[in-house]
Amino acid sequence: MSYVVNAAEGFMGLFDAGALTFVSWVSSIVPKVLLLLVFMNALIALIGQDRINKFAKLCSGNVLMAYGVLPFLSAFMLGNPMALSMGKFLPERMKPSYYASATYHCHTNSGMFPHINVGEIFIYLGIADGITTLGLSTTPLAIRYLLVGLIMNFFAGWITDFTTTFVMKQQNLELKNTL
Amino acid sequence: MSDYRAIKIERGSGGFGGPLTVMPRDGKDKVVFITGGGAEPEIIEKIVKLTGCTAVNGFKTSVPDEEIFLVVIDCGGTLRCGIYPQKRIPTVNIMPVGKSGPLAKFITEDIYVSAVGVNQISPADGAAVPAEETAAKDEKKAEEQKAEPERKFKYSADKKVSETLGETSKSSIIQKIGMGAGKVVNTLYQAARDAVQSMITTILPFMAFVAMLIGIIQGSGFGDWFAKLLVPLAGNGVGLIILGFICSIPVLSALLGPGAVIAQVIGTMIGVEIGKGNIAPSLALPALFAINTQCACDFIPVGLGLAEAEPETVEVGVPSVLYSRFLVGVPRVLVAWVASIGLY
Repeated sequence: MSYVVNAAEGFMGLFDAGALTFVSWVSSIVPKVLLLLVFMNALIALIGQDRINKFAKLCSGNVLMAYGVLPFLSAFMLGNPMALSMGKFLPERMKPSYYASATYHCHTNSGMFPHINVGEIFIYLGIADGITTLGLSTTPLAIRYLLVGLIMNFFAGWITDFTTTFVMKQQNLELKNTL
Repeated sequence: MSDYRAIKIERGSGGFGGPLTVMPRDGKDKVVFITGGGAEPEIIEKIVKLTGCTAVNGFKTSVPDEEIFLVVIDCGGTLRCGIYPQKRIPTVNIMPVGKSGPLAKFITEDIYVSAVGVNQISPADGAAVPAEETAAKDEKKAEEQKAEPERKFKYSADKKVSETLGETSKSSIIQKIGMGAGKVVNTLYQAARDAVQSMITTILPFMAFVAMLIGIIQGSGFGDWFAKLLVPLAGNGVGLIILGFICSIPVLSALLGPGAVIAQVIGTMIGVEIGKGNIAPSLALPALFAINTQCACDFIPVGLGLAEAEPETVEVGVPSVLYSRFLVGVPRVLVAWVASIGLY
């Protein structure tokens, strides 16, 4: 009999541990992310999609803008996955590179700005949780995550320019380099 | 009889529904606006010009439903935005409001369009079929009979609608300020509604799912076992580089990608180990990069599709991004490792 009791208690114990984690997340993360989401949604609505689009066209001029500034701002303004749609203002040949950069931006910036990627926030939060447990502030981590990301995401896009050229040769396909 | 023309109304930035094609006809040629204290919105002028209809201020004059071909409102999502769709009268909302309010279920794309400004209104080509009240016709008839007696009384005010309109001044400064403030408040309200929606549909379910996993992993002792397997890798910089390398291997990277679930679970486990003191906290930064070198490798065709890429671009883009992830994966972890010096 005691065996059954132990098994039942053990089973419920699995969910007790999970429930504690859930409650701590709901009380700490949910309010902050929610208000940030409200703010961002309002900001985008007030600025207007048109003006954001205009800016994107301007960005297709050079690689620094196209794989550095544009994906950063798109991720900030539009979040994952809508940020990827801004690639449409770039020539076909730059689209894979923009994708490579923008998808990373949707993660590296999510430490500072959790609204960017609410669905996949636990890559950051999971690790940051450990920092919190130690009683340290997670802000330095979030800032460095963003800064390292800013540089390396640009390279991720830029390198893709070369791999795209390579694959084009391999497949005997030519992608347009103009709008 | 005046010459009526059809117009096409599309939704604006952040709007919902539409495009609607509407056309006035004899006996059903009134556009009613029920907006901020009776001030006339800009789009009314354009609608009148394009269709040849008559504009009526719904706050000053009541019009029988069967004479209305279009309603313009500026409802922030409480009640009004659902009333006319419920009666199957085409409704234009100036505010960026979607399905909301107690009558939300009547707000459908074929009868309602929101966030409409002057630029969203254009003449329709003749072939287009005007949005008509088909489904709810019988229902509407019954309603008309009920509504008519009292409404007729209000309407026969010895005045033509156009005369009433002539007395109405165009929006004064105070009305403009009022409408502007209303728009800002409504935008904020809609933003909050969207935020709560995504909180409920994406964040909370994921939290529950991950929390349950964590509970089982921690409670069952599996976590300790798996972490022992993982700690040698995640516990030092070189191990993280190897982890990043494995995750970025083309094709494998595409398998690890979906929903970033694997990265999130590994991340949570590393977090637990950092919390216990088994992994140095400064390694959190390279770890963030190491567990996510495969980022979005499963999503390439969809992501390129969002950017309106051509099929050839997708053909080239998929291997291209897989290769570039492989090339850039390890350097990312390296740079992050260097950048973690002095963190904590």
